[in-house]
Amino acid sequence: MSGGGPPRKRNFKIEAFKHRVELDPKYAERTWKVLEHAIHEIYNHNASGLSFEELYRSHYVLNLLLHKLVKEGFLLSAYNMVLHKYGEKLYDGLQNTMTWRLKEISKSIEAAQGGLFLEELNAKWMDHNKALQMIRDILMYMDRTYVPTSHRTPVHELGLNLWRDHIIHSPMIHSRLLDTLLDLIHRERMGEVINRGLMRSITKMLMDLGPAVYQDDFEKPFLEVSASFYSGESQGYIECCDCGNYLKKAERRLNEEMERVSHYLDAGSEAKITSVVEKEMIANHMHRLVHMENSGLVNMLIDDKYEDLGRMYALFRRVPDGLSTLRDVMTSYLRETGKQLVTDPERLKDPVEFVQCLLNEKDKHDKIISVAFGNDKTFQNALNSSFEYFINLNNRSPEFISLYVDDKLRKGLKGATEEDVEVILDKVMMLFRYLQEKDVFEKYYKQHLAKRLLSGKTVSDDAERSMIVKLKTECGYQFTSKLEGMFTDMKTSQDTMQDFYAKKADELGDGPTLDVHILTTGSWPTQPSPPCNLPPEILTVCEKFRAYYLGTHSGRRLTWQTNMGTADIKATFGKGQKHELNVSTYQMCVLMLFNSADGLTYKEIEQATEIPASDLKRCLQSLACVKGKNVLRKEPMSKDISEDDTFYFNDKFTSKLVKVKIGTVVAQKESEPEKQETRQRVEEDRKPQIEAAIVRIMKSRRVLDHNSIVSEVTKQLQARFLPNPVVIKKRIESLIEREFLERDKVDRKLYRYLA
Amino acid sequence: MYKLGRGSREKVQQFMTITGASEKVALQALKASDWHLEGAFDFFYNQPQISVANTRRLEDLYNKYKEPDADMIMVEGISQLCNDLMVDPQDIVMLVISWHMKAATMCEFTRQEFIAGLQSIGVDSIEKFREKLPSLRAELKDDHKFREIYNFTFNWAREKGQKSLSLETAIGMWQLLFAERQWPLIDHWCEFLQVRHNKTISRDTWTQLLEFVKTIDPQLSNYDEEGAWPYLIDEFVEYLIENGVVQRKK
Repeated sequence: MSGGGPPRKRNFKIEAFKHRVELDPKYAERTWKVLEHAIHEIYNHNASGLSFEELYRSHYVLNLLLHKLVKEGFLLSAYNMVLHKYGEKLYDGLQNTMTWRLKEISKSIEAAQGGLFLEELNAKWMDHNKALQMIRDILMYMDRTYVPTSHRTPVHELGLNLWRDHIIHSPMIHSRLLDTLLDLIHRERMGEVINRGLMRSITKMLMDLGPAVYQDDFEKPFLEVSASFYSGESQGYIECCDCGNYLKKAERRLNEEMERVSHYLDAGSEAKITSVVEKEMIANHMHRLVHMENSGLVNMLIDDKYEDLGRMYALFRRVPDGLSTLRDVMTSYLRETGKQLVTDPERLKDPVEFVQCLLNEKDKHDKIISVAFGNDKTFQNALNSSFEYFINLNNRSPEFISLYVDDKLRKGLKGATEEDVEVILDKVMMLFRYLQEKDVFEKYYKQHLAKRLLSGKTVSDDAERSMIVKLKTECGYQFTSKLEGMFTDMKTSQDTMQDFYAKKADELGDGPTLDVHILTTGSWPTQPSPPCNLPPEILTVCEKFRAYYLGTHSGRRLTWQTNMGTADIKATFGKGQKHELNVSTYQMCVLMLFNSADGLTYKEIEQATEIPASDLKRCLQSLACVKGKNVLRKEPMSKDISEDDTFYFNDKFTSKLVKVKIGTVVAQKESEPEKQETRQRVEEDRKPQIEAAIVRIMKSRRVLDHNSIVSEVTKQLQARFLPNPVVIKKRIESLIEREFLERDKVDRKLYRYLA
Repeated sequence: MYKLGRGSREKVQQFMTITGASEKVALQALKASDWHLEGAFDFFYNQPQISVANTRRLEDLYNKYKEPDADMIMVEGISQLCNDLMVDPQDIVMLVISWHMKAATMCEFTRQEFIAGLQSIGVDSIEKFREKLPSLRAELKDDHKFREIYNFTFNWAREKGQKSLSLETAIGMWQLLFAERQWPLIDHWCEFLQVRHNKTISRDTWTQLLEFVKTIDPQLSNYDEEGAWPYLIDEFVEYLIENGVVQRKK
């Protein structure tokens, strides 16, 4: 038979139709034999190694078949067979034939040696697929009619199932296939290069045979083997690697597996295998890794190891409780270090340094969270809660933060741009937010601000205002109204002084120049101090001012605050050196005494000035015992002031500077007794606030139980301070006493509001 | 007008003579007891509200003890009264009597208070008064009455015009009251107040203390920190724990 060319058109009749003759069984048998032969031919031609594509495309085989059929006169025999109810015979025949063929194929695959096993299997699979296509085409009529009605498996699927049953599940092949695949994967994991295309083909074959086949015959064992592989590997690494390196390896393996899946496994395996790696390499060793000595999380935090931290975050994120473990360790580390920081007596000696340390710690960890933890909010919250915890462990934190701001506003921000100022103040506000006792901060801030304003020692008015605005935004108008009042007083005083000198210039003549700040009581921190005896020259001009002021503001009362003032004095020393001394009012009173005496005892000075003892001692110390500022000489030359000392004008005083600053009006960390006093005042101030809160609550609720009152009051006041439940109880009892509230007759825990 | 049988009329007469009550009262008592004399006496003495309409006698009694130049019975008069009654002025029965009188202040009785008080007690002579003393003391055993007397004491023992009770007086009163009621912690309480508190006692603290005594056992096993007790009592509990008198609850 010559090949090529389309079949010649023949005038063939579909004899079956025409004659409607029952196909006799022998006839059917013969027909089947033909088809059987055709099937074998298809397979044979595979084996012959001819390019199947060519064959197929040129319809060679089909032509051959058709020609054969035509030749035998059994065109559309299959059709005939089916039509004449021989579908079952056809189908069974097909099944048997294919089965027989596959068993042969199986043997040849089994016979393949070593590495060729997989290739052979793959090749045979390819052939089978192609054959199957062809067969299906031929038997299409049967597929469409007989198969559905008799509920038998369609041809293509039948072909796959048979392949599965007789090749894949054949005892000789089944385990060998799995072992081969797993072995190759293992070798690749150990660094060898394997034939990925082949692997792909095989796994695709398994998927084609059905996801259940892929899963049962490959994926499940693959995952188990992988688990034990990674379990072993991780065990080995963890013994000899530090945390950072271990995580690098884990990351590498994870990426490898994902790449493996994308190259030659089914996509559905990705989640499963990564889950195995995550569990074996990370989850199982989580605690050991985090707490690893010298290289664990804490060390990474300390050394700012952003890359390692970022990797740790990314990996731990994948496992349950991974991030919460990291967070917990970070939190307890922060709390511990923070606690040590705020309770270390060395650190506490310099409040400004102390606060700078806190800010640095905050910055450091902010950066870590931003760079390595992707700005994760839960970590941000953990950081905030830790800071809040330890800042409040030291009850001087409010004072120290105020001192820090004071330092910045006094000199630290000199020359800084507006932006820089904002940045620093915003950072301070962050610390401020952590404070539980904001009312204590307010008290100190007021004190320090007062000193800054009165001594004129503020770097920038804008910076001051900016800080007040921030406090107002954070705490409301009440918090800052008094502070703003202080600024107003300063301005008003300026205007008043101008007017005073304009109107009274002639009266004053050559007297000392006065600069008065009129402070509204209530806005300024009150430090009641008995006024001291002013030198007569000063007294005169002060009285003139008082008269002038009360002339325009009758009904007001003025009290000189001699513990808050400053003076500039011109002094001439032994060799004629002239210096201008900037001193406190107290110091001025003391120094002026030496205009009429060369030497004075402590007692004489005390009597003349009536300055309170502790202030006087401090004052004399700064005048007589500080190098470079000792305008007075003390006998004996000891460091401390005793009541038996005598003081002399120091003729021999020298200084490189013409203007010498001796005043002690800089805000300082309070001494113990001062601190006690301030705290007491704070406690006193809190009582009315607590009572007001109780009354507010009871007025609206009318009847409320004790615990609810305590929690409501706490909630209302927490923006300013944390009220002590015992104090709340005492206030309630006080209100009962004053008949604002009463206890319920039956239930002691219930209180009633009395209108 | 009742038509009484001869036996009944005799009983009424007898009753009136013995008790000094009016005919009306005698009839009430005898009817209530079904005309048994003994029962009638019980009835009469247990109901002191039956007015002993012998106001004349009461006025005489009052006048005996009142100050010569004021319309009050003061310290001297009270002292005399106690003498006549044969009781110590510090005896707690005086407190019960003051309560009956609804006396406003310690060591003073107004005319109204004295007379109304004796009427409430149901006596009009010193002898009868003396006989009544045991039953007056017995009133302290009644829970309800004790509470009333206890709460009355706060107002009564106060200085005129003061809102709170001075510590010394309070301690004195407590010792008196709880000696009767036998509170084992009374001495610790008084000691604690003197050492730690040293200030006056508010009404709330006073009233709540009775609750504390009545409901909390001396080992404080059922003391609840969240019980909204006055803070002074909370501090007292702390004091007891510090001094090892009771164990801290875990």
